[in-house]
Amino acid sequence: MLAFAVRRILYSIPVLIVASFIIFALGSASADPLAPLREKNPPAPPTVIEAERLRLHLDQPLLQRYFSWLGGVFRGDFGPSVVSTANIGHDLGDRFLVTIRLIALAMVIALILAVVIGVLTAVKQYSKFDYAATFLGFLFLAMPAFWFAILLKQAGVSFNLAVGSQAISTIGQASVPPPKGTGPYVLDILGHMVLPTISLALISYAAWSRFTRASMLEVMNSDYVRLARAKGLSRRTVMVKHALRTALIPLTTVTALDIASIIGGAVVTENVFQWKGMGDYLVTSIRTNDVYATASWLLIAATVVIVFNLIADLLYGVLDPRIRYA
Amino acid sequence: MKRTRAAAAAAVATAATLVLAACGGGGGAGGSSGGVYGDCSTNPNTCNSVPADQLQQGGTVTLASEKNIDNWNVISSEGNVDWTGMSTKPLLTYAFYTSPDLKPTLNTDLLDSADLTNPTTIVYKIKPAATWDDGTPVTADDFVMSWKWQNGRDCPACETAGNGGYDQITAVTGSDNGKTVTVTLAKPYTDWQGLFNSAAPLYPAHLGAKQGDLNSPDGLAKAFDWFGKTPPTYSAGPFKVENWQDNVALTLVPNPSWYGATKPKLDRLVIRVITDATQEPLALQNNEVQALFPQPQVDIVNQLTNIPNVSNAQAAGLSWEHFDFNLKNPFLADKALRQALFTAVNTQDVIAKTVGQFNADIKPLQNKMFVPQQDGYQDNLTATGQGSGDIERAKKVLTDAGYTGVGTALVAPNGQAVPPLRMRYTVGNAVRQTECELFQQYAKQLGVNVEISTTDSLGTTTSSGDYDVIVFGWIMSPAPFGGAQQLWLSNSGSNYGHYVNPTTDQLINEAAASTDINDARAKLNQADKIMAEDAYVLPLYQKPTLAAVQNTLGNVRNNASLDGITYNTAEWGIRSGS
Repeated sequence: MLAFAVRRILYSIPVLIVASFIIFALGSASADPLAPLREKNPPAPPTVIEAERLRLHLDQPLLQRYFSWLGGVFRGDFGPSVVSTANIGHDLGDRFLVTIRLIALAMVIALILAVVIGVLTAVKQYSKFDYAATFLGFLFLAMPAFWFAILLKQAGVSFNLAVGSQAISTIGQASVPPPKGTGPYVLDILGHMVLPTISLALISYAAWSRFTRASMLEVMNSDYVRLARAKGLSRRTVMVKHALRTALIPLTTVTALDIASIIGGAVVTENVFQWKGMGDYLVTSIRTNDVYATASWLLIAATVVIVFNLIADLLYGVLDPRIRYA
Repeated sequence: MKRTRAAAAAAVATAATLVLAACGGGGGAGGSSGGVYGDCSTNPNTCNSVPADQLQQGGTVTLASEKNIDNWNVISSEGNVDWTGMSTKPLLTYAFYTSPDLKPTLNTDLLDSADLTNPTTIVYKIKPAATWDDGTPVTADDFVMSWKWQNGRDCPACETAGNGGYDQITAVTGSDNGKTVTVTLAKPYTDWQGLFNSAAPLYPAHLGAKQGDLNSPDGLAKAFDWFGKTPPTYSAGPFKVENWQDNVALTLVPNPSWYGATKPKLDRLVIRVITDATQEPLALQNNEVQALFPQPQVDIVNQLTNIPNVSNAQAAGLSWEHFDFNLKNPFLADKALRQALFTAVNTQDVIAKTVGQFNADIKPLQNKMFVPQQDGYQDNLTATGQGSGDIERAKKVLTDAGYTGVGTALVAPNGQAVPPLRMRYTVGNAVRQTECELFQQYAKQLGVNVEISTTDSLGTTTSSGDYDVIVFGWIMSPAPFGGAQQLWLSNSGSNYGHYVNPTTDQLINEAAASTDINDARAKLNQADKIMAEDAYVLPLYQKPTLAAVQNTLGNVRNNASLDGITYNTAEWGIRSGS
């Protein structure tokens, strides 16, 4: 298993390098980091623009800039930002934690919901519950992430108005200044988490519950499950120990592959709820033509996707011994 | 079948719940587009005024800011950002600021007086009580450091936003223990009130001196950079920094050493970073913020108008939109074609189809040197017919000049067909896209084709001259004479369209160095009339700024200048009984 994991990690290194070069080259070709400076009103003096050009290494050829940047990444230096006071590595580290908090919780909720609802709808196929869950699943699947997030915010504000409190917040990760006392502080954090987490979780849940349902239906109709039933095993044992374990394999694949779209969803969710995470960082970096910051962001995101794919590969082995011994 | 109906019912119920939830927050009753801002259009300086004794002692007010603070030195090119200026306004001090009526106003908290004692000498008398919060007096040293940063000679490495006027200062000296500052100019400077104003506030020289020798370029540069990257631990304003969370919020508390006449009523002023302005109205409705100052958009204005107990007001500012020609184009080098095209433009129509959708009061701007709130503004455009949309008049201009194919396919007097003109606007700017499309329609009626394309770098496009016609905005300086030099001189870096006219250059330079303000205004208007006749730039309208507050707040009002909504935070407070 260890050799397998190491091999996969080694395979991913050239992928990362090629991806990072494409990102860096495209970013450099499509964005002029000095443009915001040129558009200043009153215009920035030419000496200022020239100094910025040198600071951002724009006097160097693209390849030289790329390899300087890549070399810096290995030393923990992600290059100069268009914001001279910013440290890209430090900022990305802070923001990564914020996004991970949002994504991890949303994924856990989405997975639990998806497995529970997926199994129940499979077991109770064509029941009212199945129809209702199916409808909701497709509804969430069809809704654009930003629109759903805005609807949730409106609902949250309406809830607050109805109950006459400010239990649910629509902006940021916490109140400023934070409330005094542990209890109010925790409630404040939860009040800020509830809407973005629901927003991100329900959109992921929608697809995953459909996969679980389909997968469960297929497994439940397979010979080995029928044999298990014929052996007289309890319904619970058949479902949990035999059917669900196999049915989870495709969900594992989908979850790992979906990490990229979840990060994409987080970009939208963070923007709508003004969470200062990776998503907000990407939007700001693109808006300010910050090539080094954008490339660094995408490098981190690509690494996360590769890591999750690796985790998925390892989980296959856990879920299906045939893969482990192959 | 029953199951299908049940599913359908569930669908309708769910959709209805979501839609109702989405619509439930608004509510027209009690909505206010006037409210506490009812008289702001007539009394911009005093609307929403509440006497101090009718304000609560204490409370927190949160103001939404559209931008993070990346550099704290407002004088630097990087720190010269509108929201950085507004966020640091409660901390820093300055000689003059711009009041909501767009007039330069003496900062009487800092100064007893600021006088032009002769055409080249300015004397500032600093109040004896004026100190930084560590007890160090505000003195001439602070003026000297600011001058040396900006004069372009003493600190070559200081990347300043501009050096308008400071390069003309030959000496800044202090007397009376530094409480009298004498500024000597090389020649008269009409915009002297723009020096050391709120756009270039004072920073504490005694802290700058700790970074290096302020008599050396290196020491000045070190201080300049230190003030840029260090969140303020100092204050000479009504508030001081309690906490700064990068990208989240700046928390201010009253400065106990504040020497101004009006003591802050608030316990805390939070400036919260909300980078997506469209999220601000809901945050206001949910009481997460209590004041907004976003760029106005139709959706935002409509949302704000429907929130109960919230008032919003727009004000015409110093920023204005315009069409520009590139005179490098050989066809556009002909004045007749330019005049005809600008005459075909119906500015009122442009306004109605763009910003008029959220502000019915916006009127065509008829001057490039002054905005209507400034002394000196006069209509220099109507007489030329430009902006009237009078197609027949435009056609006559062309016919008289010898053009043929007018209204079908325009041919220049030399027999060459007028090729399509390339018009550019900033990608993603829907208002400017509409403005370009309207220009295209007007030009078509004269037989001129216009091809519209976007630019993702306005600065690159303008500086490279990669356009025939372009639409963008200028921000007028509250100091109009220096501003005119910056925008309209033939050798200015902002002369993107290559307009060259020695006569207007002379008038503008004379106005900037005049000792008679009325004469200076007359000269700028004379230059503007010549430029209008030459049809190089067509001003369209002043862009509005938008302020919105919960009705419980007093003394918070729109200021359409660069000083913005925070120009008077010492006066802010929550109405008693709210």
